[in-house]
Amino acid sequence: MAGEALARDRERGEGLGTGAIIEARRLSKTYKVGRHEVKALREVDLSVAPGEFVAVMGASGSGKSTLMNIIGCLDSLTSGNYFLDGEDVSSIAGNRLAAIRNRKIGFVFQSFNLLPKLSAARNVELPMVYAGVPARRRAAAARTALGRVGLTDRGHHKPNELSGGQKQRVAIARALVNRPSILLADEPTGNLDSRSGEEIMGIFQSLHDEGATIVMVTHERDIALHAGRIVTFRDGRIVSDEKVAAPSRAAATGRAPDEFA
Amino acid sequence: MNLLESFISAATSLSGNKMRSVLTMLGIIIGISAVIMITSIGQGLQAAVNGQFSKMGAAGLEVSVKLGEHVTSKDLLTVADAALLETHPNAESVSPMLAMTGRARLQNPSETDSLYYVGCNGSFKDVYGLDMLEGRFLARQDLENNASVIVIDSNLAKRMFGQADPIGLTLHASFSFGNMDFTVVGTYKPTDLGSLFQMPTFAYIPVTTLQKAYGRSYLDSIYVNVKDRSAIERTAVELSKLLSMRHNNDGKYNVANMLKGMDSVNTVLGGVTTFVSLVAAISLFVGGIGVMNIMLVTVTERTHEIGIRKSLGATDGNIRFQFLVEAVILAAMGGLIGIVAGYCGGMALGGAINVQPSVSVTTVAFTVFISSMVGIVFGVYPASKAAKLDPIEALRHE
Ligand SMILES: Nc1ncnc2c1ncn2[C@@H]1O[C@H](COP(=O)(O)OP(=O)(O)OP(=O)(O)O)[C@@H](O)[C@H]1O
Ligand SMILES: [Mg+2]
Repeated sequence: MAGEALARDRERGEGLGTGAIIEARRLSKTYKVGRHEVKALREVDLSVAPGEFVAVMGASGSGKSTLMNIIGCLDSLTSGNYFLDGEDVSSIAGNRLAAIRNRKIGFVFQSFNLLPKLSAARNVELPMVYAGVPARRRAAAARTALGRVGLTDRGHHKPNELSGGQKQRVAIARALVNRPSILLADEPTGNLDSRSGEEIMGIFQSLHDEGATIVMVTHERDIALHAGRIVTFRDGRIVSDEKVAAPSRAAATGRAPDEFA
Repeated sequence: MNLLESFISAATSLSGNKMRSVLTMLGIIIGISAVIMITSIGQGLQAAVNGQFSKMGAAGLEVSVKLGEHVTSKDLLTVADAALLETHPNAESVSPMLAMTGRARLQNPSETDSLYYVGCNGSFKDVYGLDMLEGRFLARQDLENNASVIVIDSNLAKRMFGQADPIGLTLHASFSFGNMDFTVVGTYKPTDLGSLFQMPTFAYIPVTTLQKAYGRSYLDSIYVNVKDRSAIERTAVELSKLLSMRHNNDGKYNVANMLKGMDSVNTVLGGVTTFVSLVAAISLFVGGIGVMNIMLVTVTERTHEIGIRKSLGATDGNIRFQFLVEAVILAAMGGLIGIVAGYCGGMALGGAINVQPSVSVTTVAFTVFISSMVGIVFGVYPASKAAKLDPIEALRHE
């Protein structure tokens, strides 16, 4: 599923000359709170190559979410440049930004952010609704995406009829359904027990194995160790950027492996 | 995001808050139903009045001797005068008229009904716009032979003869000057207006027969239908001159334009409609503010949802459209419910005062259009507010 999209993305990434899919240069973000200024990000340089699985760690308030929101084109930056897929996003505004969020980015949030009144399948369909995909194709694609996260039979359930882990899997299906260039996850396991967290990591790893680019924020070193690279923030700066020699594989979840295939 | 999608999503969110939706619509429902109720009655009344008048040929003039003038017997109108007026080039049909109240015996011989016996000729059917149901109207020979024939309305025929075919049966009439028997030759359809304005029941007999029985040679009036409506005022003057010449007098005749009556009814009804529309406009405005208020509340409540939708790629336009559709559905539903409620109210009121209420397709279309417009006008601001929300701040909102 992600393979051919990735090949395309790699080609485009070369436009910038770096081949990176995420390229942040001297990225700063300053919040104004009353007369105070909060420097959430201070001249961050970060480059993520296609197919990388990056974990972002750091103390609370160190700027991890701020970075994710900017990478995800949800928030604007104060200074610096951010290239997504070779395109300078800092200069883009309005509806084009919405289109980028829609096609290139899949977001997974700590609090799931599903619409409570819609069924799981309808939630998964939403990005396709905004992409203008016709209803019948949407339903089929939503079924496929739910199948990928092992929830084929839960499509008609409302979010409040699902467990936390299931909710997060619906959110992942939703994030994947438009075949985005990158998957961004801000503490995806933060609200889950460790077993459900392992399941989510299992899904992420299988996506990564297929070539997906993933950036994930986490507080837990165990979770971070599933990634191939760990970037650590402190006070809005990157203080370490290390490769994980041997990422840990997600423990077996008791479900048949082909459920993720 | 297409229209259907927005429609479904709006309907889902509105039905999730039924009580609130209905209360919000109430202002619009009341406004629209008031208008529909009053205008349906007004239009029904107008249709009845106009139908009646329009049946009276192209236009009608009523010629009579002026009251209060010093009138001598030589000034009075006669059947010969009617024949004279018929020679006027703009006269379509002319009927002499002499009327008199009397009674008629009903099926139960001890009961009688008050009748207004109208002596006239065959043209009166067109002059007065009567719809024949059975048999025929008066004919030329009836007048020539002073025949004792009568045309009555079908309601009277039922009271008089029950279910029997009234044609050829005998009507026993009594006048101040004595009793007479008439043979029924036709029945006509009673008019809506007759029952509405509590008019007496009319029965038509040859004017010559009534004149002979009553021993009078004159008429009450002469009805003239004109061919060219635009020349009606001039024709009125000319008819009056023709009569003055024949009777060798001056200005003793009154020629009344019956269409003026229709105009004044229409003017009154028009005034009522305008007033009701004004009241409706005010209540629609208040209803619109209600819609705006609730939409603002909705936008605040659903800020988080808006953030989620934006994070998934919804444009400002998508969000604006979604909330606008919701406001329009709210208002248009109010309008539709108002139409139904107003029509039911109109039926109830119409039943009480004996008018068939009428709601035209134009009225319904216009009402739906207006209430949708209310939705748009008062929905734009909340929808734009929703659209302009910053995605990340909206997402943080719980
Ligand atoms: N909307 C905002 N207005 C003002 N300050 C903000 C806003 N959002 C974040 N901040 C500040 O920016 C800094 C970085 O916040 P951020 O949410 O990125 O931290 P984080 O690393 O994600 O923390 P956590 O691990 O607790 O989620 C913090 O000091 C925070 O108070
Ligand atoms: Mg955070």
